[in-house]
Amino acid sequence: MASTADRIRKLVADNLEVDGKPLPEPLDFGTGLTELGVSSMDVVAFAKVVAEDFGVTFTPEACATIKTLDELVTCLDSQMG
Amino acid sequence: MEIDLGQDAAREARAMSWLDDQERRRWRRFLPGGPRRRFALSRAALRAILCERLGCDNERLAFGAAEHGKPFALVDGEPVPVSFNVSHSGAHGLIAYAPAGRLGVDVEERVARSDIDLLSEAVFGPAERAELALTSGYARSHLFFRLWTIKEALMKAHGAGFRLDPSSFETPPAMLRGMNEAIFRLPRLPEVSWRLQDLGNERFAAAIAHEVDGA
Repeated sequence: MASTADRIRKLVADNLEVDGKPLPEPLDFGTGLTELGVSSMDVVAFAKVVAEDFGVTFTPEACATIKTLDELVTCLDSQMG
Repeated sequence: MEIDLGQDAAREARAMSWLDDQERRRWRRFLPGGPRRRFALSRAALRAILCERLGCDNERLAFGAAEHGKPFALVDGEPVPVSFNVSHSGAHGLIAYAPAGRLGVDVEERVARSDIDLLSEAVFGPAERAELALTSGYARSHLFFRLWTIKEALMKAHGAGFRLDPSSFETPPAMLRGMNEAIFRLPRLPEVSWRLQDLGNERFAAAIAHEVDGA
């Protein structure tokens, strides 16, 4: 079974781009998406996609608190036990 | 103030010369190309505006960050009680400045999106979604971006950003009906008034929110 990080990596590749280009590999899980140049609108849409894929719910506060993909993985792992 | 963030190597090089070491480190974290260019040009423009308004040299100006990351100006290391906010999207940048009162600004390039339903569900309330449901095609996209920028400008002005649940408040009815500006109070913060103004045009959606006294 794919790890949470691997699933996130695939969701990023399938759903996020900046100026029409995919985010570069290897993906830096320690840098915030907005710091890379992803728009706030795309971050919100991505949060919805991740929530649906993992079957979890993010509160707006949680979305705003999670700054990096590393933090997202930790949050998902804690929600899924 | 609107800023042109289109490609221009000479202008970008001049902008970089305005940034301090901390900003250059931040610039390096952005992806090469558009993200770096937008950050450099908009930050240099902000510096130029603040230096002019505050009567200081660029070397004396620095930035700090409030609790949720909203920047504030420092001159000679001391916080300066003025308000400003920056937003950029595509080739469009906006900077808002005021001597007092919290400010937020948002600009979004009008691009085709296939996820308007998904985003609307996340950030809009029932009246906003109902208004969107009355439109289709270009008008729907136009209204979506307009409502988004009004709400994001307000969340930025408040300072909490998306911690302020965007679906917990709705665009004032007058602006939903097409008015360009309105005075608004957040349901959870009724003692504070905000002047909301739609600044958009055919190329981009944009809005500003400014805290006002006694409105």
